[in-house]
Amino acid sequence: MRNRSFEKHYYLMLLPGLIWLVLFNIVPMSGIVMAFQDFNPGAGIWKSEWIGLENFEYMFVLSDSKTVLFNTIYIAVLKIIGNLIVPLVFALMLNELRLQIVKRWVQTIVYLPHFLSWVILSGILLDVFAFKGPINSVLGAFGVEPVLFFARADLFPYIIVGSDVWKEFGFNTIIYLAALTSINPALYEAAAIDGATRMKRLWHVTLPGITTTIVLLAVLSLGNVLNAGFDQIFNLYNPLVYSSGDIIDTWVYRAGLLNLQFSLATAMGLLKSVVSFILIVVSYMLASKFANYRIF
Amino acid sequence: MKATKNGLLLLLAVLLIALTACTSTNQPSNGGSTNEGLGAAAGNDEPTAAAETADPFGKYESPVTINVGQANDPTDNSLPQGDTPENNQYTRHIKEQLNIDTKIIWRTATGKDYDQKVNLSIASDDLPDLVIVNDAQLRQMVKAGQVEDLTETFEKYASPAIKGIIEKTEGRALDAVTFDGKMMALPNVTARGDAVHTMWIRKDWLDKLGLEVPKTVEDLEKVAKAFAQGDPDGNGQPDTIGIAGQQAGGKLYANFLASSNNTFGLDPIFSAFNAYPGFWLEGEDGKPVYGSIQPQVREALAKLRDMYASGAIDRELSIRKDAAEPVVSGKAGIFFGPFWMGYWPLPDAIKNDPKANWQSYALPLDKNGEFSPHMATPSTQFLAVRKGYEHPEAALKLMNLLVRDEAKFDVSVTLNHYPVRIVYAPVDEIEYSLNALKEVLAGTKTAADLDIPGYKLLADDASKVGKAKLEPFDNNDIQYWNTDDIGTWSRMYSIFVGGAPLLEPRNEVYSLVYSQTKTMESRWANLEKLETETFLKIIMGAAPIETFDKFVEDWKKQGGDKVTQEVEEEVKG
Repeated sequence: MRNRSFEKHYYLMLLPGLIWLVLFNIVPMSGIVMAFQDFNPGAGIWKSEWIGLENFEYMFVLSDSKTVLFNTIYIAVLKIIGNLIVPLVFALMLNELRLQIVKRWVQTIVYLPHFLSWVILSGILLDVFAFKGPINSVLGAFGVEPVLFFARADLFPYIIVGSDVWKEFGFNTIIYLAALTSINPALYEAAAIDGATRMKRLWHVTLPGITTTIVLLAVLSLGNVLNAGFDQIFNLYNPLVYSSGDIIDTWVYRAGLLNLQFSLATAMGLLKSVVSFILIVVSYMLASKFANYRIF
Repeated sequence: MKATKNGLLLLLAVLLIALTACTSTNQPSNGGSTNEGLGAAAGNDEPTAAAETADPFGKYESPVTINVGQANDPTDNSLPQGDTPENNQYTRHIKEQLNIDTKIIWRTATGKDYDQKVNLSIASDDLPDLVIVNDAQLRQMVKAGQVEDLTETFEKYASPAIKGIIEKTEGRALDAVTFDGKMMALPNVTARGDAVHTMWIRKDWLDKLGLEVPKTVEDLEKVAKAFAQGDPDGNGQPDTIGIAGQQAGGKLYANFLASSNNTFGLDPIFSAFNAYPGFWLEGEDGKPVYGSIQPQVREALAKLRDMYASGAIDRELSIRKDAAEPVVSGKAGIFFGPFWMGYWPLPDAIKNDPKANWQSYALPLDKNGEFSPHMATPSTQFLAVRKGYEHPEAALKLMNLLVRDEAKFDVSVTLNHYPVRIVYAPVDEIEYSLNALKEVLAGTKTAADLDIPGYKLLADDASKVGKAKLEPFDNNDIQYWNTDDIGTWSRMYSIFVGGAPLLEPRNEVYSLVYSQTKTMESRWANLEKLETETFLKIIMGAAPIETFDKFVEDWKKQGGDKVTQEVEEEVKG
């Protein structure tokens, strides 16, 4: 059954990808030694002074560390939940539509924002939520005092999560819609004949039919739990919302690129990588257990 | 070695995900070649120097190439058709006079982007031959041994004009670049006018609402409120702003590290309370204290908080993407900035509304009735030479040439296209020019009398002033200006209107230090963040004024006390 030469062909095709991976992801990893050094760019990473865990000690003394770690997890978890549930509900609703043309149009329109970069979208969002922007005008019509949304640390995480879900849900909907098409229509007919209402059919036929997809997506997204979205937050935040909006990536950016604290930034980045690695391993094990999803 | 460097750069790229694209495309191809030059450099150095007998303007016999990193304003389109940042009137002049070829190895937008690129170059030890850096970057580079010692080169090659300008700063410029007695970079010297932040106000709005120019903070609050609520632009809508503030990422006030040119900050309001946040002051016991934790700042913040709550200050303070926007669109009535606002943002403002009569005053006054601004170090930018570069004297020759010929250049092509340009200006350039030009208008002096060394633009200004300023010469309101030639107007308006407050008496407050100490290198960013966050929250009503007391404690605990000690040692030593 196995054809050796056919496999070699595949490996050849894999080669460019592997080279890319080694060059851009494996080789640079040697740089993590910076986290244990007082990095001196003139001396390079092999000759800089070793200082052991000093960077990590300082990192844990900083009150910022706890804040950014909490913010990162909080925002990322909310995003994961939002990005699972909203597209699911939306896909189920779309699936119930009878007019195919409406379905196609809606589907296309809601996934358009996915293709816009956060640099552009953040500009739009800042205007929409501005003190004299459309949202405040609408609120004003109901007698609500204008709110300065981007100055409110208590609202910031939700604006971030909300806008991210709004941007991405159309795209994720497609995955669910694809899964929905794989359900055998005979099941619906049988259920209808047995007298199941629409809601019942949804509950007993549709949902069980796509459970595997839901679990798989949920479990795989765990690996992203420390990626709260650098571009989005970087383009929207300001000092007033640092307390609830500053995440590991923005912190690393400021420490490393703006303040020249290379070693400290690397240490924080390393911490993030280690935690992410553990989460990915766990999520892989869960995926293999519940959704029978295996890579190796 | 090259591989390690690549690895390092790429590591940063991976960790700082957003910048992946930039770093990988910006891998300069000449990284290897500049390093190979290292060995040859040592051997070549002496004969070259000897052969040239140290002529500050000496032309090289064989062409010398400088690799530079350049910051360009992305909106600038002053280059004529066919010219490039690498080949324009300035680089051709340099080639002709000095036989130096300019090679730009990377370009960025001005501001933050440039700083980031320099930081990245430092981290990957892949520096251009000549590079303009700030204080923190210079410190890092000296620590890493990445810069050439310029002590001797400066002695031999600096032109008398540059030496004179640097001497006039009374050691401030040299202090900034001296490490262990060695001069590690060329300091720039800016005019004192860049440091004094004054109040710019719409006089036509004042007249329309029947108000006087506000003298104190109390008056200022009343005027600002009237501007915000009294519909001064007459469109029937309450869409105007009293005092415009800084944009997202901008600074509420200048600090000891970036002590001048803080446009749209609230510096003069702080100094009206004799509060100097961000500056190192002499305490009552003679020891250094940090300005931001002083009780005067608490007072100032309490007042700013009231003003913000009452609508006198822009609601979108620190959130707005572009601070100049309300001024340009004619929606703001007051802002604070240095003298040169005639260059930016006012040209756009008068384009939109030719009657926008922006005037500048040395106000508001403090409780003693004095204007007490904080003052800057004259040197905030430094031209560093990469360690191992064969021709460190090229840096000096470039600057010598710039200072000598600046007045002859056609500056309709922005001077930023002069490679690695740092500003050299006599500290009193603006005040001196203003007085001289007044005499030119009065007819007691002519352009020919004003060819004074150092004041490089003055003679040219004298020949142009008559084109921009209309009679009566003692009234600077906007209707008495000719704005047809906006370039000339910009400079003249800046000098006459922006410069006038500089002639008023003032009580100058200097910072004890203008550079970082050792502990600051690792702790300052965190302390500064704490400060910015706290102050903004207090002003914008997101935290009670009592938060200030907690901030003072936290600041001391999180490294502030240690930093203060170091500053004390540095001031003593």
